[in-house]
Amino acid sequence: MKDQGSRAKLVGGGIDVALYGTSGTEVLIDVTGLGLDEIEQSADTLSLGASVTLTELLEHPATADLYGGVLRDVLRDVASPLLRNMATVAGTIASAHPWSDMISLFLAMDARLTCYDAGGEKTIPLESMLSDRASLHTSLIVGVKLPVSSISVQFEKFTRTGFDVGVLNCAVGLVPDNQDCTQVRIVLGGTPAIASRVPAGEQLLEGNQLTDAAIEEAATAVAEALEVRDDLRASAAYRRELAAVGVRRCLNRIAEGWSAGT
Amino acid sequence: MKINLTINGASRVFEIAPEEKLLDVLRREGYVGVKEGCGSGDCGACAVLYNGRAVNSCLVFAAKADGADIVTVEGLAKGRTLHPIQEAFLDVGAVQCGYCTPGMMISTYDLLSRTPDPNEDQIREALSGNLCRCTGYVKQIDAVKKAAQLMKEGSHD
Repeated sequence: MKDQGSRAKLVGGGIDVALYGTSGTEVLIDVTGLGLDEIEQSADTLSLGASVTLTELLEHPATADLYGGVLRDVLRDVASPLLRNMATVAGTIASAHPWSDMISLFLAMDARLTCYDAGGEKTIPLESMLSDRASLHTSLIVGVKLPVSSISVQFEKFTRTGFDVGVLNCAVGLVPDNQDCTQVRIVLGGTPAIASRVPAGEQLLEGNQLTDAAIEEAATAVAEALEVRDDLRASAAYRRELAAVGVRRCLNRIAEGWSAGT
Repeated sequence: MKINLTINGASRVFEIAPEEKLLDVLRREGYVGVKEGCGSGDCGACAVLYNGRAVNSCLVFAAKADGADIVTVEGLAKGRTLHPIQEAFLDVGAVQCGYCTPGMMISTYDLLSRTPDPNEDQIREALSGNLCRCTGYVKQIDAVKKAAQLMKEGSHD
């Protein structure tokens, strides 16, 4: 990368580069031979090597139980097994597709990326990487860290068909403190811009209980504040409606989980 | 550039262009059971086993596959003896034009090698990346069930 500069591109499974190509790229560097293919679980973190495929993550014994099965259920709906067998965790992030289910989910979880660049190794929030995507050209993602203790996560996506990319997706992550919501993260993706948080909804819930009224208020606030656009999949107005539905469903499921004591 | 592949158990060396996809190399070298449908990872007609997992060969750079173990539909039969998956697809009539069949069988192989006794949900999930434009996704499901049964009864791998 250092020698080739912008002529070079890192690839994992290589699917997106094969499909979309990249103008100006003359050198592809396959990083899947680096042995970054381990999944390790500690008390508070699930660490994924950059080259772990979505299938390997889906089939890993830890995945079934984490987040009440949410990670497993989201992965099952990502593309097809044929694509998941090649697609890597880091590649999914580096491709930064606006419709990506995984990016929304990882953002809601406050995933951290371990990256390696000229300055050495560092850990940064996925959120920072997405807001500074130029850094993807100068650093190598070597791993993804997901928090696994105490966080509640839910996800909802709206698609025309199961195999199509989503019209909109919504992911919510928060940490319960007694009955109060803390570290609230409400993420909307496929708006059709890339996934991002919606602070207007988060602030309403922070420090408060997850009552029906609070959920409704947050869903409405998100729908109002969300920046949406028309594209071939849906109109802006429809996306705004869906956003409220998505937030409401995610929060309701989290509230149900808490009252069921899970 | 040159790549080494193990294809259907045999070691082969191919001269390839850097930007070529595995699908194009395989077809050029005579493995024409591998089909190109969409060329964009949607239809699964080009599925091959790549180190034991079914992938869309249209989206795999041939250069990346250097050193990989590849199985195409041609590698399923043993001589003139069909693989149980092939027998099952024929027996239940899970073929019409046949274009999607090689990919369907490769996805079936991936499924049954890990889940020998799949339920219908698991079968549908496993074939979800293989599109068929003639039939109604009924006979293929039956074929996978039958293949699972045949493989349980026989000693065929």
